[in-house]
Amino acid sequence: MVPTSYYVLLSAILFTIGVLGVLLRRNAIVIFMAVELMLNAANLALVAFARERLGVEAQVIVFFVITVAAAEVAVGLALLVAIFRTKRTADVDEVSTLKG
Amino acid sequence: MELLIWLIPLLPFIGFLLNVFVIRRERTAGLVASGMVAAAFVVTLIAVGVLASMPPEERRIVSTAWEWINTGSFQVPFAIMFDPLTAVMALLITGVGALIHVYSIGYMHGDPRVVRYFAYLNLFVTMMLFLVMANNLLLLFLGWEGVGLCSFLLIGFWFERKTAGEAAVKAFVVNRIGDAAFILAMLAIFTYFGTLNFYSEGEGGALGFLERVGDIAGLRVGPNWQPIFVSTAISFLLLIGATGKSAQFPLFVWLPDAMAGPTPVSALIHAATMVTGGVYLMARTEPLFVASFTTQGWVTWIGALTALMAGTAAMAQWDIKRVLAYSTVSQLGFMVAACGMGAYVAAIFHLLTHGIFKALLFLAAGSVIHGTHDTQDMRRMGGLKDAMPITFRTYLIGALALAGIFPLAGFWSKDEILAHAVGHGHTPIFIILFITSLFTAFYMGRQVALIFFGTQRDPSYHPHESPQVMTVPLIVLAVGAIIGGAINLPVLHWLTNWLEPVLHEKAGAFNLWLALIATVGAVGMGYLGWWIYTTNAAKIKIGGKDPIYRYSGDIWEGMAEAWYLDRLYQRTVVAGFERLSDFLARVFDPQGVDGLVMGVGRFFGGLANGLRAVQTGYVRTYALVFTVGVLLVIGFMLWIAR
Repeated sequence: MVPTSYYVLLSAILFTIGVLGVLLRRNAIVIFMAVELMLNAANLALVAFARERLGVEAQVIVFFVITVAAAEVAVGLALLVAIFRTKRTADVDEVSTLKG
Repeated sequence: MELLIWLIPLLPFIGFLLNVFVIRRERTAGLVASGMVAAAFVVTLIAVGVLASMPPEERRIVSTAWEWINTGSFQVPFAIMFDPLTAVMALLITGVGALIHVYSIGYMHGDPRVVRYFAYLNLFVTMMLFLVMANNLLLLFLGWEGVGLCSFLLIGFWFERKTAGEAAVKAFVVNRIGDAAFILAMLAIFTYFGTLNFYSEGEGGALGFLERVGDIAGLRVGPNWQPIFVSTAISFLLLIGATGKSAQFPLFVWLPDAMAGPTPVSALIHAATMVTGGVYLMARTEPLFVASFTTQGWVTWIGALTALMAGTAAMAQWDIKRVLAYSTVSQLGFMVAACGMGAYVAAIFHLLTHGIFKALLFLAAGSVIHGTHDTQDMRRMGGLKDAMPITFRTYLIGALALAGIFPLAGFWSKDEILAHAVGHGHTPIFIILFITSLFTAFYMGRQVALIFFGTQRDPSYHPHESPQVMTVPLIVLAVGAIIGGAINLPVLHWLTNWLEPVLHEKAGAFNLWLALIATVGAVGMGYLGWWIYTTNAAKIKIGGKDPIYRYSGDIWEGMAEAWYLDRLYQRTVVAGFERLSDFLARVFDPQGVDGLVMGVGRFFGGLANGLRAVQTGYVRTYALVFTVGVLLVIGFMLWIAR
């Protein structure tokens, strides 16, 4: 059986890639994908610990996370379409009108 | 009876309300206002009749309408009273007041704001009645401030004229000084007596402070090295209050300027009634004053000094009303000096007769002004006696009464004050007052000569006699000025006996020699004044100097300026205040206040400007800050907060 630490390590790597993706990429769609990556990294950690402890609560939470992530993607993509229609771009740095 | 005495102040108050809210026409306003005051006079007469039918020691009716102020131990009822002193004051106020209201109908005819004028006048009568009828100091103060307000409004009635507005403000501000002392006196009285009531409210009520002056006998306040008697402190504060309202030295400067108001107002407020408020106050709180030897000395000297200063100032005026104004100040000085010497009955007697003949003089002067188309400078008058026969005769009667010629009203009352001064060893005071009374005769002779004798020096107008609505009050007042002295003739002592329950004073002896000398002196000086200004009438030029100026020189200038008291205030108090205001306006406000207010704004503005840089608008920057924050929190939890 694969040790839990491997899963956690993978989860951490995925999360870090996600964070860096959000921070470094400009394309909104890629940022979304990075956010999905972070969510799934969390899911992976949850499932790994659930297996370790032989519990189901964490596995249930994972379903919630997947649901919320789906909803978030739906809203986020809708926003993206709206932004693209007005700005003709998906570059988040172009959407900086709230500058102080 | 209680209802009856409430009617006295309420009738003019109803007139005031009607004039404010209902009446729009000039004619109705005059009739209603005069009618209400006349009705108040009739009610007062009835009340006096009822009072006279009671035994002398019980002649005091106190009536409480409601608890006015009720907070803990500080309780002030809205209570009025009617006793012999109040009765004579109320008779003067409503009687002379009614005549002046009637006269005003003619004098103010055609003015665009007559309704407002009568509303003010009615309010004044109401407030003056509250002043003399109050059974506690606070209600008296209400009337005191009320008449001050009406005085302000009526001096500034023709506010289009700059001088009128300024005079109104001056009167108000100068009176504030006295009022501040009055409030302090009230606080002191409440502290030491626990009540502001003059007398107990009916049978078995708690005693008022005037009935318990013995409580503070021997009590001292102040620093250990110089304690003063409580009675001295309280009565001195009341004295300052009285000097403001009764235009005494050093606060008399407002009264001559107050002549900017309509002439009937000068007659009613600034001669007959309001300015006597201070004298009334001293007579009412007589037990407090008598308890302090020190204050009585101050009262006497302030009165005598004022009488002399204003008497000399009156001699050198050209404005017909300013002569009378300074004369009023001078006569008030007589009354105050009389109070100081303990001759309260003589003071009230002089107050009453002066109220009648000075009202007469002012109204007659108003008739002259009216008949000469708003001429006030006596250099532009002259020879008016044929054009205005009634005004001339009544003016002459008033002038003789003021000069103290036997047997007119002024003779008796002034003689009583002088006789008291001689009889009680106040020789210096007597000399000052006697000289002042000679001056009085002189300036009245001068004024009569300047106005009515000789030839008209300014031919640009045609003088005419005033309408009957103005001359009839003059005639009534002239009769009063002739027979007014009868209320306290030397043998009968009606007024002394009538006021005995309040002032506890026995009649003084009549001094025949003094009366003779005073009359001869008054006749001589009056004739001298008349003679100088009729024989030199040709030398008086419009805008020119007085004939006497050649001989007296700058002393005359000093008299004309009332010994420069006004200028002294102008150069010290007013100039200092203006400099302070200037500093506040030009330096303190822009740099101090604005600096503080704008400084706070600028500080936060600058702070916000610095923080703006954080808000880049780039989502990724926010995300980075967020991540760094999370990392910091995690790091804190892992390594520091373990």
